[in-house]
Amino acid sequence: MSDAAPRPRAAALALAVGLVLADASIVVLALPDIYRELDTSVAGVTWVLISFNLVMALAAVPAALIARRVGPGRTAAIGLAVFAGAGLACGVAEDLSTLILARCVQALGGAAAVTAALELLPATVGSERRAAAVWAGAGATGAALGPAIGGLLTELVSWQSIFLIQVPVALAAAVPILAVARHEAATGILPTELRQTGRPHLLANAALAMVSASIAAALFLLVLLLIEGWRLTPIGAAIVVTAMPLAAVLGSRIGPLVPSAKARAAAGAILVSGGLAGLAYLPKAEVALTLPPQILVGIGLSLVLSALTETALSGRAPQAIHGGWTISARHAGVVIGLLALTPLFTADIADQREDAIEAGTAVVLDARVSPLLKIELAQRVGDRLEDEKGKVPTIGPVFEPLPEDEDERAAVVELRDELQDQLDRGATHAFSPSFLLGALLGLLALIPIGLSRRMDL
Amino acid sequence: MSPALRAQVLVGAAIVSAVALVGVYLAAGGSSYTPEKTQDPCEPRAWSNPQSLGEIANQFSNSALDGAACQLGVSREELARALATPEARERFTERYGIDDAKLAQAIRAGLVRAVDDAEDAGALSPLVGGPLRATIEEIPLDQAIELINNARTIFGDVQGFLGPAGDLLEELLP
Repeated sequence: MSDAAPRPRAAALALAVGLVLADASIVVLALPDIYRELDTSVAGVTWVLISFNLVMALAAVPAALIARRVGPGRTAAIGLAVFAGAGLACGVAEDLSTLILARCVQALGGAAAVTAALELLPATVGSERRAAAVWAGAGATGAALGPAIGGLLTELVSWQSIFLIQVPVALAAAVPILAVARHEAATGILPTELRQTGRPHLLANAALAMVSASIAAALFLLVLLLIEGWRLTPIGAAIVVTAMPLAAVLGSRIGPLVPSAKARAAAGAILVSGGLAGLAYLPKAEVALTLPPQILVGIGLSLVLSALTETALSGRAPQAIHGGWTISARHAGVVIGLLALTPLFTADIADQREDAIEAGTAVVLDARVSPLLKIELAQRVGDRLEDEKGKVPTIGPVFEPLPEDEDERAAVVELRDELQDQLDRGATHAFSPSFLLGALLGLLALIPIGLSRRMDL
Repeated sequence: MSPALRAQVLVGAAIVSAVALVGVYLAAGGSSYTPEKTQDPCEPRAWSNPQSLGEIANQFSNSALDGAACQLGVSREELARALATPEARERFTERYGIDDAKLAQAIRAGLVRAVDDAEDAGALSPLVGGPLRATIEEIPLDQAIELINNARTIFGDVQGFLGPAGDLLEELLP
């Protein structure tokens, strides 16, 4: 194909796929910062995610067709250059509209790079099966690691750094691919292959869409719960959600032990749904309690995504087109998930905030502290809630300094803890219906998985 | 283990794990981890054993808020927040389309209910309750709100609150 060494090229292609698919989720932990800095709404900031996934869903198959026409090497190299340029634009964006527009362009470049990479990989790694495995693995790794990397960058540097750091990475990934692009320019591509496109695997792609919607719910909602509800820092939330990719690694070890793709897909969908249902019924606002559900979701996503991608690509030529369909299905699923969940949890957060304020007021009124202190505390709590503009506040500082009288101090501490408990209850419960909807979407994926004859149990 | 059996074990293990997780979380109270429901202000509020003047005053304030909130058709908690500052009060009256006279009427009704509850709980003598009710019916809005916020004046300084009649009534407090 070209003079470039296969190993660096395979690594570059895997890096490109991982980078682009990480981008679908990398901004999740930065959303609260973007929300505050760009002074927008929760629904508005969600479009930073939705726009990227929507354009990826729409552009993946056309991008694969372009890759077949003009050559995958050139398509991948140009795609990565566009991705890098748009990433730079995202990093310097000063308003939400510019950021969303740049994200759309970034997705166009990303779609070209990812689908072209699948066309290049078989010749690079030796077989279509191995190429599909590398491609799916790189994508799953990127998607799983994205939120954690985004959280670290947001806290250590800024949300803009998430996009700026992608510029040199994308350009570095493009370098080994340039040799292929030059080779294509010199030799041309084979036009006969253009007519060999088979029908996409509808059931596997439909299941991919549903399960992707469910996984988007898991990542997006959990991050919002941790940062906005439980007041963790982005880096703290990043550490917590790392449980999911770690569990996915475990899932990738289990997968090869079971040859049946149908069984792996079904088990994965059940685990993702079970994990989401667990998050919907958290018995307390404690980070440790999110770990068992995350482990289920992580193992599940590894099993179901690899099984469904493998099924969608198996025996289908050309790989780039069918890879495009899987990319399209996955990102369409994320968009559906986000569009379905955003209005639901936005309304639930508002309702639960009201309920929590009511319950908190009741706690203050029933507290055994002097009425004058109550009034003062009530006013300070009210100011704190107002200052936080919808975010669930840390209520502790409102009660400082604590009264010197021992009895009154004990009563105030009890009041503070009860009040914080009511706010935590409200914040946690606000996400329950959305997590349950996510679980339902995961279970719905069992229908196309069950109907598919090509995934024998 | 045959491939078919492995497939069945994997799916079975997934079902068991998912059901077990949800079951354990539900058993640990996952379905009831919500903000506590507030009490209907029209329902009677039990007075716990009053141990001190401050506690009696707290319960009097809560009964008064309950009574006023019941009259206005809002929660005790919302009314309490509305009475915290003049700005909050203005927002509240605008939201519900009520004027100061109606608010004052509701708060007086609440204070009267608080006197009834205090009498029922044995915290206030009926001999004091009668004149107190009569006085409450006459006080202006700001003073009525102040009375809710600092009910201690009733129980700690009857003389100051009732004027000359307080000299006699103070003798009769339980």
